Amino acid sequence: MTVVTRDAVTLAPFGVPEPELQYSAGTPAIAAVDLVREYPRKRKDPVRALQGLSLTVAQGEVHGLLGPNGAGKTTLVKILSTILLPTSGQATVCGHDVVRHGRDVRELIGVVMGGDRGLYTRLTGRQNLEFWGALQKVPRKVLRSRTEHLLERLGLAAKADARVETYSRGMKQRLHLARGLIGDARVLFLDEPTMGMDPVAAREFRKLIGELRDEQRTILLATHDMTEAESLCDRVSFVRDGTVVATRSPHAVAGLVSAVQGLELDSADAALAATLAEVPGVTSVTTDGATTRILVRSQDDFPRLLHLLADHGVTSLRTLRPSLEDVYVRLIGDRGLEV
Amino acid sequence: MNLLLIIRRAFWLGARDYTAIFTWKTWLTNWFVRVVAQVSFFALIGRMLGDPGQTQFLLVGNAVLLAAMVGMYAVNMVSWERNAGTLPLLAAGPTHPAVVLTARGSYLILDGTLSASGALLVTAHLFGMPLPWPRAAIVIALIAVVAASAYCFGILAGSLLLGFRSIQTIVTNVGLVTLMTLCGVNVPLDFYPEPMRWVASVLPLTNGLVAVRLAVTGQWQAALFPAAWEALVGIGWLTLCLLMVTALVRRGRRHGTLDYAS
Repeated sequence: MTVVTRDAVTLAPFGVPEPELQYSAGTPAIAAVDLVREYPRKRKDPVRALQGLSLTVAQGEVHGLLGPNGAGKTTLVKILSTILLPTSGQATVCGHDVVRHGRDVRELIGVVMGGDRGLYTRLTGRQNLEFWGALQKVPRKVLRSRTEHLLERLGLAAKADARVETYSRGMKQRLHLARGLIGDARVLFLDEPTMGMDPVAAREFRKLIGELRDEQRTILLATHDMTEAESLCDRVSFVRDGTVVATRSPHAVAGLVSAVQGLELDSADAALAATLAEVPGVTSVTTDGATTRILVRSQDDFPRLLHLLADHGVTSLRTLRPSLEDVYVRLIGDRGLEV
Repeated sequence: MNLLLIIRRAFWLGARDYTAIFTWKTWLTNWFVRVVAQVSFFALIGRMLGDPGQTQFLLVGNAVLLAAMVGMYAVNMVSWERNAGTLPLLAAGPTHPAVVLTARGSYLILDGTLSASGALLVTAHLFGMPLPWPRAAIVIALIAVVAASAYCFGILAGSLLLGFRSIQTIVTNVGLVTLMTLCGVNVPLDFYPEPMRWVASVLPLTNGLVAVRLAVTGQWQAALFPAAWEALVGIGWLTLCLLMVTALVRRGRRHGTLDYAS
């Protein structure tokens, strides 16, 4: 039996779907096992958006879904939020099956999507929240105070009575988040919530998500943004071709490709840089001001490189660990602009 | 209790949405003037025919048609829900989308009743048709039944057309022309053969219009039966509408058509 805690790294080996997990520490907030979703097409083979995807998210965890467009992130969010039925497999939210007990699931979740849609733009922010709150069956008195609280908390109080069509993209996103929270959702699905936001607004938005994490809400965050995933998530899952290829905490992802990605040393002269670039296994040598970065293909290439550096009298160097983005590119593959 | 709160909230939200399009000033000066002109146009045709009975027939028919016309605007309201990307969010919420969709546009019943009753009262006065107050009150109540019945029909049509946005305007207009043609607005019902009369009897407006015509001439007791039939037709369309939205959401979940990606 696998015991999962928030900090544990219990992940599927590279390329192998995560097996069904048993929990001793409470019901997982989200559990998906062998989820398959096919979209039928006329006179063509169906498109398989999910191909046996398995994933487990513990209560109170912020879990990132990373993957390119078409990887299946949104399809997974749709299934978990009961908007879409899986073709096969099973998914539960707080122990409720999304197919058989969809109504129970809908009582517990909030869905926040990126972009301009999903709001009544001719209504004010306050009216939107009151409407969605009523639909979430929030009692009237609670709804009034919660609406005020959320407007205040998300920095929308000053424009609460302005029509949403006059809001900036960042304000709309904050209103989306407020809408997702108006029912006091225990599990939040955020689908690219900072899409199209300027960096300052996105940073503020992330701060809000961080606060929600502190409140022990479970958050499933589908994103392309590595900084976002790195700063917010307890764990991230890399999704490719409708399946989870790996899950780790952002700090442990480096282990998925190699412990060390390269070396950094005080600026090498041009001759040494040229020599280093010729070493088998070295993929790039870049000099930026006072430092030179050498990236290698695998750890096996290090001994030869280290010998060469020692021969040239280099005694001070640092190891480079791969960033989340580096891991993403290695796991998902550099597809360029291909979709 | 909670359902009532949701319905009330949805009604007010829809109404507030409507006030973003019309203020009472623009409603009076643009919309109401337009509908009075429309009813007057048809009443004038009756007057040109030189028959006061024809004038009254066309005047009443076209005034009550307005209630059905406004009710049919529910088609656009349902479609707007999808265009705004709110439909999947409704489906992801604990309140059934059918309840929300049905309640959110119900302000159109009020709008239809006001438009039709106002146009009827104004044009009746302009064309010298007597409509004393107690009788007028009954007529307004009957028009409200027609507006509600047509609204249910409109919601159903809107739900059916959710997947066919490109033909939505055409179908709405075809629907309106069908109501105008078959339901006894300008052409008496007995002009049509039996099968068409049967079709007309299950459409909104037909029976309500018969009831209004009777009430206008003071036969309010005789108006009760067609009025009840109109209400029954409305309930029938409402039931179909709730079933249809439920089926559409179920189908959307199965086929992935409850999209929200921009």
